[in-house]
Amino acid sequence: MGLKVQRRRVCRWSFIELAAVVALGIGLVCVAQATWIRGKAVLAQWLIARAWEQAQAGVRAPKPWPWADTTPIVKLELPAHTSGLEAQQLMVLDGASGRNLAFGPTHDPASVRPGVRGNSVIEGHRDTHFRALQQLRVGDRVRVQGLDMRWVSFAVVDVRVVDSRRSRILLDADVPRLTLVTCYPFDAIVPGGPLRWVVTADRL
Amino acid sequence: MRHWIFVLTWGLVSSVALAQGGAQPAILEEQSGTLLLKSSQDADPIDALRVETSIRAQVTGNVARVHVTQTFMNPSSDWVEGLYVFPLPAGSAVDELVMHVGDRELRGEIKEKQAAKALYEQAKATGQRASLTDQERPNMFTTQVANIAPQSSISIEIGYLETVPYRDSRYTLHIPLAITPRYNPQAGVDPASRNAAQLTHAINMAAGTTLTPERVTSTLQHVDIDVELAPGFALDAVQSLHHSVTVTRDGIRQHVKLSGSQVPADRDFELVWTPAQLPALQAAVFAERVGEETYALTMLSPPVVAQEGAKTDERREVIFIIDTSGSMFGPSIQQARAALQLGVDRLTANDRFNVIRFSSDASSLFEAPQPVTDTSRVLASRFIGSLQASGGTEMKPALELAFATPPAAPLADNAVLRQIVFITDGGVSNEAEVIALIRERLGAARLFSVGIGAAPNAYFLQEMATAGRGSYTFIAQREQVGQRMQDLFRKLEQPALVDLALEWPGGIQPELATNLPRDVYAGDPIVILARLPSLPSGTLTLSGRRDGSVWQQQLPINVVDGQAGLAKLWARERIGELSRLKSVGGDTAAALQGQILQLALQYQVVSEYTSLVAVDPTPARPVDAALRPEQAPTSAPVGSYWQTGVTGFAQTATPAQLWMIVGLVALGLGCTLYSYRRVRVGWD
Repeated sequence: MGLKVQRRRVCRWSFIELAAVVALGIGLVCVAQATWIRGKAVLAQWLIARAWEQAQAGVRAPKPWPWADTTPIVKLELPAHTSGLEAQQLMVLDGASGRNLAFGPTHDPASVRPGVRGNSVIEGHRDTHFRALQQLRVGDRVRVQGLDMRWVSFAVVDVRVVDSRRSRILLDADVPRLTLVTCYPFDAIVPGGPLRWVVTADRL
Repeated sequence: MRHWIFVLTWGLVSSVALAQGGAQPAILEEQSGTLLLKSSQDADPIDALRVETSIRAQVTGNVARVHVTQTFMNPSSDWVEGLYVFPLPAGSAVDELVMHVGDRELRGEIKEKQAAKALYEQAKATGQRASLTDQERPNMFTTQVANIAPQSSISIEIGYLETVPYRDSRYTLHIPLAITPRYNPQAGVDPASRNAAQLTHAINMAAGTTLTPERVTSTLQHVDIDVELAPGFALDAVQSLHHSVTVTRDGIRQHVKLSGSQVPADRDFELVWTPAQLPALQAAVFAERVGEETYALTMLSPPVVAQEGAKTDERREVIFIIDTSGSMFGPSIQQARAALQLGVDRLTANDRFNVIRFSSDASSLFEAPQPVTDTSRVLASRFIGSLQASGGTEMKPALELAFATPPAAPLADNAVLRQIVFITDGGVSNEAEVIALIRERLGAARLFSVGIGAAPNAYFLQEMATAGRGSYTFIAQREQVGQRMQDLFRKLEQPALVDLALEWPGGIQPELATNLPRDVYAGDPIVILARLPSLPSGTLTLSGRRDGSVWQQQLPINVVDGQAGLAKLWARERIGELSRLKSVGGDTAAALQGQILQLALQYQVVSEYTSLVAVDPTPARPVDAALRPEQAPTSAPVGSYWQTGVTGFAQTATPAQLWMIVGLVALGLGCTLYSYRRVRVGWD
């Protein structure tokens, strides 16, 4: 009798042990994945910023990392109050592909370059680079810097939420305009929702 | 046990808390501000009525049964009467309408157009849900849905049948999804205006929905497509030309589904498949008994002569006509220029040629067709390179210019063959007028049409080729220009099959839906729908002449089970032919109208004189609530004028937080399980 009970217990424990190990394994993989996404976003920005400085110093088309297939087109500066004590600087990449978005905000190639007359569209992830957009308010100043080191300032004129299933962004504008787009709501857990947070800024 | 519950509850509570914490209210409060975002031409885009489309197609042998489900979504707080204009293939027999209200299904009936309209209007007035499907043009239909409740939706399912022929060495299932707005030469727009096409569209929209009902915007309409492919033979390849799809195989059946859930309906869907073994299936006769009568579908593709290039002793005179109107703006004009340049490059020193361009006016490269020389080629290339898309779509002056040039004098005893190659998206509303002109002035010439763009007016391009005794091809993307022009060159350069004759076993006299084609070009199928007094047995003999020699083929007759819908396909084809005869005009027009109506009612298909109507007997809208009419927009072709100046949105969130939460929950669970084990050990 005692033996029987003993054996049953052994089986039960080993099942729980197995379940515990599997759960811990899955947990570690998921946490690592999440950390990697966040880490990649920070690391890539740092590497791109270094390449940008080299480019400004005259190096021709420096690559942030050897296999990089995108180039930064401008540096974007968000005001200090959005993210902490210092103004947040972000390297904006060319072409809005999912992979580029992992490394930084990206410029929609269908739109004009920032600072030129027309609407320049820049999109970024709501939970990494463009998290600070939720703090932007009408009247805030946003700046971009091109390779020529000159800063161009914009003032936020509109902040709104739109449904991406039924809206599109007009590329025409009478003035140089910057449209910053990210997903909404900012703290939704599951990605892929239809809503977008759209910040519009006109050149000063 | 307590631990388990604790762990699960902890996981759930923490994720819900995280999800809730971030959700900020006020999406609707933030709509004021400047007009930067273009959702539609409406003042209040968020509340606009929209239609989402879901398509299920089943291909069995050479026949496709397609169900188009349109869900009318009304996000506003009003009761709405919805109107939606949508394209369907021109040769389709539309015979089914089902209105889904909640769990209930209400089947529609075919009625004479006026009667159907009256029934619908009456139901609408009394607050009942009702829907009406009309044929506006042979390939453009409308659905009206009355009494859609606030913040709710009604689904309408429309069913049609069509044949899938083997053409240019492939089977193609073509599902039109977008509409190129039709230019109306009578709209009173200054034809010299640069935006004539766009102005016409604006006028059409303002004029209401009775004449030219299409209303396109850059708004996103979505579509979902699912195709069951059971051709009855092994397939070599299945390919979707303009959409990314996933294909799953089950024996010789294939299941094709659009990848992704939010696919914009801004281009037509084309599914192409080729059989693994070629010879046997190029010819087939199916016979089906329905009631007292028998219907037969004969499909075959005469073998292509294995000969490349033009015959050396033949002299051709090729007149290219290219549409440079506003609707060709964007990728379309690039495709058209590339196709035209290939056509000119293909000419040989024996040929003569000319190029005519038209929009609001027409002009030609040379005054008369010129021999192909280095100089004329250079001039042509320069002319083609300078073509830009803007202005109206006045086709008649261009055709008149082409027909007005006297044919070149025949050399020796070889007659000159005059071929007109017409490159356009077919975006006009005076289709019948243009067809009549071609029929009248064609003479010994032959007209071939090249359909351009993501959503061409396929009906019109095919009718042009029929009236012009030529053939047609379609180019939807820049990458297709080369291959599709090769298909066309084969048709232009190889002798056509003429003097077709059909002999049925036992001397049966069939009633053909249309006359036998007078010219069958390389790669073109022969599709014959016939009504027979009795079920034939044995073989059918089809014969013709090509290049002086006799061609003959015996076709065995297969009897099918009576579910294939051949009767409806025959009726639809017959109605198409009667409409064609009617458009010629004359005293018979009234009689033909009667015949069309009678056929459509007898065979229960939608036509220009019959519509489908469904009514829900239960009243829905309270008598004191107002009903507001609204037209849901239809997608314009991708890259066209109506889709430019706007950009979409990228996916701008990472799954990092999701991973983190799943990870933390799993870690928590793992730790608890581990401690649970130790507790049990401790008890022992």
